[in-house]
Amino acid sequence: MTSIETGHDHLQPQSKPSRTTINRRFKRSTLLMPLAVAAIWCSALMLTPYDPNATNFLLRLSPPSSEHWFGTDQLGRDVATRVLYGGLWSIGLALVITSVGAVIGTIIGLTAGHFGRAADVVLMRVSDSFFAFPELIAAVTIAGLLGPSTSNMVFALIAVSWMKYARLVRSLSVSISNKDYVLQARLNGLPPALILSRHILPNVLPNLLVLWTNGWSRSILSISGLSFLGFGVQPPNAEWGAMLLDGKTYMQTAPHLMIFPGLAILFAVLAINLTGDRLRDRLDGR
Amino acid sequence: MKLRQQRNAPMLYAVGSRLLALLSVLFGVSLISFAMIHLSPGDKAQAIAKARYPESQTFPTDILNAIRVEFHLNDPFLVQYFHWLKNFLQGDFGRSFSSGATVWEIFVGNIGETAILTVSALLFGLVLAFLLATVSVWRPGSFIDRFAVALASIGAAMPSYWLGLLLIMFFAAHLNWLPAYGTGSLSHLILPTLTLGLWVTASQTRLLRAFFLEAKSAPFVETLRLRGVSETEIFWRHILRHSAIPALNMIALDVASLLEGAVIVEIIFARGGVGSLLAGSVLSRDYPVILFLVVFFALTYVAINSLVELLQDLLDPRKGWSSSITCTSVNTEQTS
Repeated sequence: MTSIETGHDHLQPQSKPSRTTINRRFKRSTLLMPLAVAAIWCSALMLTPYDPNATNFLLRLSPPSSEHWFGTDQLGRDVATRVLYGGLWSIGLALVITSVGAVIGTIIGLTAGHFGRAADVVLMRVSDSFFAFPELIAAVTIAGLLGPSTSNMVFALIAVSWMKYARLVRSLSVSISNKDYVLQARLNGLPPALILSRHILPNVLPNLLVLWTNGWSRSILSISGLSFLGFGVQPPNAEWGAMLLDGKTYMQTAPHLMIFPGLAILFAVLAINLTGDRLRDRLDGR
Repeated sequence: MKLRQQRNAPMLYAVGSRLLALLSVLFGVSLISFAMIHLSPGDKAQAIAKARYPESQTFPTDILNAIRVEFHLNDPFLVQYFHWLKNFLQGDFGRSFSSGATVWEIFVGNIGETAILTVSALLFGLVLAFLLATVSVWRPGSFIDRFAVALASIGAAMPSYWLGLLLIMFFAAHLNWLPAYGTGSLSHLILPTLTLGLWVTASQTRLLRAFFLEAKSAPFVETLRLRGVSETEIFWRHILRHSAIPALNMIALDVASLLEGAVIVEIIFARGGVGSLLAGSVLSRDYPVILFLVVFFALTYVAINSLVELLQDLLDPRKGWSSSITCTSVNTEQTS
């Protein structure tokens, strides 16, 4: 076993950056900003004195004030608190959806790339077929047919999200498996499972991470979009898209109902996109 | 000799294998769509009966049974699927449950609105993106350049439904300049076009800028510069032509996503079109219409993607004829 390890360590430096360099690169500033935002957001969630669903009919549709920073909605609920809690839905659900999609896609991509020609053809044709459905249209149809609810929306979005990961993992892992150090490991008799987990997957991971960040922000837009159309998270739950749908009716009298949830979506997506861009630049520049 | 072979024979091979792949994808698309409708919960016969007799709430079993026989609902899944596929291939897309009109009639009545919206948004968005990208590569790193990049980033993160609402709020409700909802005159088209077009601008500005910058630092441009060709001529005659292929590729891919965006925009602005038709049919469970529309969107998407790949091969002489499937398999065999 040790001889195998050293045999491949000879080839490692030129084709594979060491793990500590990657870690250092990720830690420095790329993850700092999102972590800071998350920390501020969590503390705001804990500090807010209001309940996101507590109604107060004396204070319906009041504009932003020192008491209610983002004003109150048609039932007198504090919009700022609801925007904060809405992030749990939008960002959290998007995280779940993209993670599950990425795991499914990775498994399918690896299977297609490394378990025979038949599996490859079948799995890639299936994922091509799924790819043909525009994401949002498929999601609207699935969520609508199953009935509007949060779990159906999550199912629909996972069903349309795994293909890009499968494609990426398949093409990358196939090209990596042709690299010399993998060949060396194979010649040394390392079992395929170990080659996959130790040599191929770690090298796919950085690119997967970039795609995953990208998918995360897109999922936030999809979740809020579906909820806005009435196919996703249902009122009275405080989700940004659902809040926009609620606020649409009071567009003229209480514009703050529409402005703040929209801004929240914009900032969340922008922040994740920028982090993803930075990650990509860093990985490209290695 | 070898050169000629490379130029001609693989072309047919590439087109042929791509067509084969296309056919298998189309088969998969139709199967997935049909399975999606088939597996959706709820009694189909009940839905058909409800659409046929809107005034009554409950239906006697013999009526439901008659409907099941009429629509072959008792047959096994595959029999139903091939029955539908046969009709579909013969151009018989069925009739809408709710209105009774043929699906094709309903579709033709709605696609025009969507096409107008998509084309006008694409034109507007591309012109704006082109202007922004041109100005920003003129002096990379300048204030205008940074402004264009920031605008593109924000635009990409902007939810189109929110942008639509903001535009309605400002131009329709507040200023009262333009109508907010509905279809008809040219003024109804302005806000939806802006909403969808700005999305195109956001996605294309960054890409165009990157393509222009890449071409600008290419060796052949450097040579032209040394020969004393003016920057203006370099840009209009060489950089533009050089960037045309990748740009065309990305634009065509955007057209596919535009159809998707049109769905949301049509719903926000209560416009006619296939998007609002889809949402309406999903809510009223009008299965034939849903099935047709889903297949239509998928077909359009696949057709555009395949066309882009073919066009790329046609326009770019350096690339040669390749096929996505054969190429990778040959490579693996050679190297492993």
